[in-house]
Amino acid sequence: MSDSPILLVRNVARSFGGTVVLEDMNLVIERGSIHAVVGESGAGKSTLIKVLAGIVRPDSGTIEFDGKKATISSPNAARKLGIGVVLQQPGLFPERPVLANLFVNREPLHNGLISRREMEARSRDLLRQLGLAVDVRAPLGDLGPGERQLIAIARALLENPRLLILDDPHSALDRRGTDRLFAVLRGLKAKGMSMLYASNRLEDALAIADQLTVIRNGRDVLSKARQELTTSEEAMIGQLRQSLFPLPLRAMPTLAGTLRPQLAVSGLGGGRLNGISFTARAGEIVGLAGLAGSGVSDLLALLFGQHKARVSRVRFPDGDGLPKTRTEAARRNICMISGERGNGLMQDKSIAFNLANVVVGARDWGSRWYSPVMAVARAARQIEALRIRSAPETRAGSLSAGGQQKVIIAKWLEIGPQVVLFDEPARGIDIGSKQEIYALIRQMAASGCIVLLHSRELSELTGLSDRILAFHQGRLAGEIAGPDMDGGRLLQLIAAGEAEGEGRQIKLESVA
Amino acid sequence: MTRTDTAPPLAGSANRRPGRRIRLPAETGAAVGLAAMLGLLGWLQPSSVDAANLSSLLEQAALPGLLAIGMVFVLAMREIDLSAGAVFHLTATFAALLVVAGMNPWLAALAGIAAGAGLGLINGLLVIALRLPALLVTLGTWWMIQGLSLVVGKGQTIAPPGADGSVLATLSGKAFVIVPVTGIVFVVLAMAMHVVLHRTRFGYRVQAVGSNPRAAAYAGIPTGKVRVLTLVLMGAMAGLAGVIHLGAQGAIAPGDGGTFALLAITAAIIGGTSLSGGNGSVIGAVIGMLVLQAILSAMTLLGVDAIWAAFATGALIVLALAIDRLVNLWRNRRAGHGEDNLLG
Repeated sequence: MSDSPILLVRNVARSFGGTVVLEDMNLVIERGSIHAVVGESGAGKSTLIKVLAGIVRPDSGTIEFDGKKATISSPNAARKLGIGVVLQQPGLFPERPVLANLFVNREPLHNGLISRREMEARSRDLLRQLGLAVDVRAPLGDLGPGERQLIAIARALLENPRLLILDDPHSALDRRGTDRLFAVLRGLKAKGMSMLYASNRLEDALAIADQLTVIRNGRDVLSKARQELTTSEEAMIGQLRQSLFPLPLRAMPTLAGTLRPQLAVSGLGGGRLNGISFTARAGEIVGLAGLAGSGVSDLLALLFGQHKARVSRVRFPDGDGLPKTRTEAARRNICMISGERGNGLMQDKSIAFNLANVVVGARDWGSRWYSPVMAVARAARQIEALRIRSAPETRAGSLSAGGQQKVIIAKWLEIGPQVVLFDEPARGIDIGSKQEIYALIRQMAASGCIVLLHSRELSELTGLSDRILAFHQGRLAGEIAGPDMDGGRLLQLIAAGEAEGEGRQIKLESVA
Repeated sequence: MTRTDTAPPLAGSANRRPGRRIRLPAETGAAVGLAAMLGLLGWLQPSSVDAANLSSLLEQAALPGLLAIGMVFVLAMREIDLSAGAVFHLTATFAALLVVAGMNPWLAALAGIAAGAGLGLINGLLVIALRLPALLVTLGTWWMIQGLSLVVGKGQTIAPPGADGSVLATLSGKAFVIVPVTGIVFVVLAMAMHVVLHRTRFGYRVQAVGSNPRAAAYAGIPTGKVRVLTLVLMGAMAGLAGVIHLGAQGAIAPGDGGTFALLAITAAIIGGTSLSGGNGSVIGAVIGMLVLQAILSAMTLLGVDAIWAAFATGALIVLALAIDRLVNLWRNRRAGHGEDNLLG
């Protein structure tokens, strides 16, 4: 009995609307082992995990847990089976005390009232095992991101699960945090816990996993024990991404540097940022790297007129300084394209309506009328140019994630952008659309836009950028370009704020 | 530039071109409801659907209907204005006092409309300064404005002396023998505002803000300005209704227009305007208001005690909300929505 795998997933499929996210997923998790699932974002990892957590129901396929066929119809059903899940966004409550977060919805009662004493007693040992010395009565928001991640894991562990599922648990962690997390996971394994660990950082997965499953486009393409993995296979997994990035287009002559329009930032301060200076020229893609809280998002917000700067010495190509509002930014052809599609898309409106956002909505010149006929013509043009597979009158929300992102890009293309700020433009979309969007970014640069690209996926930065600015705790930690551009060096810069000559112990690099 | 080819060959999309479903206009439900109500009225008492009675139905619908026109814009922006009825009352009181004080009725009428717009401006500025939903802000200003009209009007009916040939007298008259002037103003304004909502930059912005305020802000749409302007429009419509009320009735009594804000919201929702913002139909709101007035007439005809009218109005709001919600749920389910962001 104890030889049978703890979890068996067979032929699981799931699609949303017309988008197939899981096509034919198989997975076997042995008892007492750490099983890593790796794949690019958009490959189906999170959906697989949501199926196992009972948040999403599969269209077909079978799941066996502990040798018995299981239907996981709700998060509660998963909990009853003994599956503990730590999601990418763990759903914690930053304003509430740590204790309240640990016992959400299962607060121990004493005479009908929530007993804080019992909560403390129950969690004390566990927190010590996890190496967490925190004030459990302080609000969760006071803790660092690494500690918060461990609290999320502790919350799952308090239910004594037999299988612990972690979805990209280190996305908010720096290297020290990741090491600590791994130590905790190894400790749990030693106690016989089975774990499923989803990640898009291959090196991480290789460091912790006993078994490894690579998934792509909703299928498992490779499943092996860590030791049996040959170096050629390792290389192959690492190369999955190579074809993703198009070759640089060189339309702008590089020699006429002085004549090219440029964005000059000198000593910019605001938000978390202090004394930021750099120039970005038309025709190049400047990558912006930094962990959460490093100030990269502040920089984008400042340049787009979303926040006010303390010290603003910025010169845009049109000769003016920072825009004061987003409206002013849009009118000066400064664009912000965010991967957070809630920031860019009106789901219940047609594609044609969405594409008029800037041309009609933001500008106050041109016709005072909104002409649906012109909107449809505009949409038809962009649909053809960007190969959005739909009709102008279709609701934007019914498109696939990639199609939605193209609509967001297209509405800015309509105004002929001069400065384009990308904030994780390819987050959560399928591989095919990703390639198309990368090609679009290249094209925009080649046609004379100044492109700033922020991404959490380092390979996206190294694959697309001409040079990368690394941010650490509100200041510019360094710039790398050309042959120096590799994930390890970059990570060193953004995590520690300085480049250590030969930091070969750096092992983190992402797959996608 | 009138006719660009609207359907060029879509490259590489032949295989997945979604079939075009026949979409019923948003006003369909309200139109069916109105037809049913008129049918019922005619069946109860054939004489109640003759020209005279229908135009009096229109006249009754006109005043709250003007508020409903403004309310469609507010709802399409995903906001709600509770203070509209109080604004109506205060502007009517204000204009009446100006006439009593000897001002030219035309000027008094203009001043009344401007006062309404001004109250809307105050609402709007509070909304953007406090970054609160208009629901909360207008909940407060509703009480304040109501209190003010009590103070100003001293809790009494104000009847300015009639002045022949003035705007106020004109409004109480009839054009083409039978059609009430208020009704004409109402219908013409509704059609104009329908065009404004669907065919102008301002209307586009209102819908964009209502559909997704965050995306609208990120696209550079001046959301604050749109919010203020929409609430100013709402206030001006309420002011206009107040002035017309004064002209048609010749007096403003305490309690007049107390239910107008809710009537306007109900009419808008019956007319196919969604509470979740993003779209609206002014024509639908007009039909919705006619449905409401027809229901009230039907209750009178059926001999239902007038006391029950309020209950029925309330029940209708609940019904309209339930339908709005169900339709949305149904749509989202069909689009595979409500669980977006699951990719990856």
